[in-house]
Amino acid sequence: MSDAPVLQIRNLHAKVAEEGTEILHGLDLDIPAGEVHAIMGPNGSGKSTLAKVIAGHPEYEVTEGTVTFHGEDILEMEPDERSQAGLFLAFQYPVEIPGVSIANFMRTAKQAHLPEGEELDLFDFQDELLDRMKLLDMDPTFAERPVNDGFSGGEKKRNEILQMAMLKPSMALMDETDSGLDIDALQVVAHGVNALTEEDSQMGVLLITHYQRLLNYIKPDVVHVMVDGKIVKTGGPEVALELEEEGYADYREFETA
Amino acid sequence: MPMDTTTMDPEGVTETLNREKVQAYSGPEPEWLKERRSHAWEVYEKTPMPTTRLEEWRYTDLKKKLDLDGLAWPEVTECADDFDACPDGLRDAMEADRAAAGHVWGIDGLVFHIDLEEDLQQKGVVLTSTRRAVDSHPDLLKQYLATETLPPESGKFEALNASFWTDGILLYVPSGVRLDLPIRVTRWVSQTGVALFSRTLVIAEPGSQVSLVDEILSDDLESQTLVSDAVEVVAKDGAQVQYVSLQRLGHGAFYQSSQRTLAQRDSTLDTLNVSMGASTSRVDLNAQLLGPGANSDMLGLYFGDDTQHFDHNTSQDHVAPNTSSDLLYKGALDNESRSVFRGIIRVHPKGQKTDAYQTNRNLLLSDNARADSLPNLEIQADDVRCSHGATVGQLDAESRFYLMSRGLTREQAERLVVMGFLGEVLSRLPLGGVVEKVTNVIEEKLRQV
Repeated sequence: MSDAPVLQIRNLHAKVAEEGTEILHGLDLDIPAGEVHAIMGPNGSGKSTLAKVIAGHPEYEVTEGTVTFHGEDILEMEPDERSQAGLFLAFQYPVEIPGVSIANFMRTAKQAHLPEGEELDLFDFQDELLDRMKLLDMDPTFAERPVNDGFSGGEKKRNEILQMAMLKPSMALMDETDSGLDIDALQVVAHGVNALTEEDSQMGVLLITHYQRLLNYIKPDVVHVMVDGKIVKTGGPEVALELEEEGYADYREFETA
Repeated sequence: MPMDTTTMDPEGVTETLNREKVQAYSGPEPEWLKERRSHAWEVYEKTPMPTTRLEEWRYTDLKKKLDLDGLAWPEVTECADDFDACPDGLRDAMEADRAAAGHVWGIDGLVFHIDLEEDLQQKGVVLTSTRRAVDSHPDLLKQYLATETLPPESGKFEALNASFWTDGILLYVPSGVRLDLPIRVTRWVSQTGVALFSRTLVIAEPGSQVSLVDEILSDDLESQTLVSDAVEVVAKDGAQVQYVSLQRLGHGAFYQSSQRTLAQRDSTLDTLNVSMGASTSRVDLNAQLLGPGANSDMLGLYFGDDTQHFDHNTSQDHVAPNTSSDLLYKGALDNESRSVFRGIIRVHPKGQKTDAYQTNRNLLLSDNARADSLPNLEIQADDVRCSHGATVGQLDAESRFYLMSRGLTREQAERLVVMGFLGEVLSRLPLGGVVEKVTNVIEEKLRQV
């Protein structure tokens, strides 16, 4: 039982709820505890959709298949319940929440993660927040800024990792966290993620990316190639390097053949 | 066939509201006040009831919202000045008040308690009820009450209020006297199916400073009650005045407030209108910038639920050169509630170097809520800086999902977004106690949603 993957996806079909276009066409994926997986694929392959479907985005509807997390079916859970179960999604486009400070947001989120009736210790919280911000090379005043409001691309992504560091998920989905980052920001973000995986050797990570670049800084155990809503190839880190050299052309031809 | 208007019955005359009642009420009053009321009533009779054909009343149909015929005269209950005997709702509101330089408490249009720091009394500060002031400070009333600031000629409701006011607050601050703490007024409405008329008069002499927090509240009312307020605020040269209205009436109330502020040379006259309660709430606010260097910040905040209807009608009159005003009204609307914001910046021919801004932002929390926003400019000077803007937005699914993906429930997510949205207004006027009080009221409303 302990060998069962933390996240297990079987024959997942999902469509855009409103217009009905199917994007995931029967996808299978296993991520065991403590492993870092990467999903690479061309634009439009459904990578981001997969991340959102796992996190419970209301825009998508699952029509077939299962997603189990720690052995539990999560498809009927609300996004907040999935978070409380230990799932975390770092957004590709983090949302601006004007007037709500990061500290206030994180305090509310931390409280929501506590068992019913338990009160968050505000001093411990403050210490933890400052500590985590240090890890990500953030100025303490950052905590008082409104969530993502007027943030640069790099600040937004760093803020995602800060939230991840505060909520300590058992599985982190990182949706194109590298997009829009310069090399310095990328290193800070990667350093943060690596520190967290070192801290909790059981944490699983799913990196979703278009480019190999991020994988120079966060080493994956397994790399999957996704095309047209399915995983078409799974292998070691060498798969990413092949893609870097040869691009996705082969897979596209394969797809149209 | 042309209609002969002279033979038309005056509008809004009822068994409760009529000339005889005005005369009866003012019977024991001094002659000057009798004349004032009688004149106000004449103006009332001559003024037609506003209809939706008027631009300023287009979205608030009085025919549907207000039944004047159903209103009775309130029973006059002489309240003992006894904290323990007060209704729970009033006591809670008074206890939640932070430190103040003075307090006024009232029920159903009558003031029953006034206190003011000894030191301020000695400096000549006057805090009393308008009813008591008829005897104690007739000169102040003669000069300021319903005269140049809000004369009956201002409109139908202004005339009605000037005819029938029963009590209110008079706050007078002499030259150079500065109050470190605000004056807090807490007024309770207990009777249902009645008409209540009250006036607030603030006069700040040159170089003085004062803040007044005026809270009115009630439980839900079984049948319609008209609560009418008239607010006149005068800031003389270099005075600094803040007026905060906190309206937390229950459902069933028709709230109507006419406010006018006069800002003289180099004065600062800021207002905050918080509209949370009542079934219908109509606030008319006119800020007059009368002397060079005068400045007014005009803040507003509303949160509608159920079928509440809010109508804020504001105007910024830049009469003198080198004046500034900055208006920010923000509201959240849930269920089938509705808001109307109509605002105009008027720069008069002499108002060169005016800086005037006007912003209204609305957040819709339900598909059935509605907000109409009508900002306007009327500029008769050529060297001015003016801008206006209005937005109506939905609480978007992406924000909700983002917050929920961090473990917040749907309700917590919405609460955070709404508090963040409305918080901007409160942060602009961080008066001790007001922020917490308003935050609590919003939280209460969000819990009911």
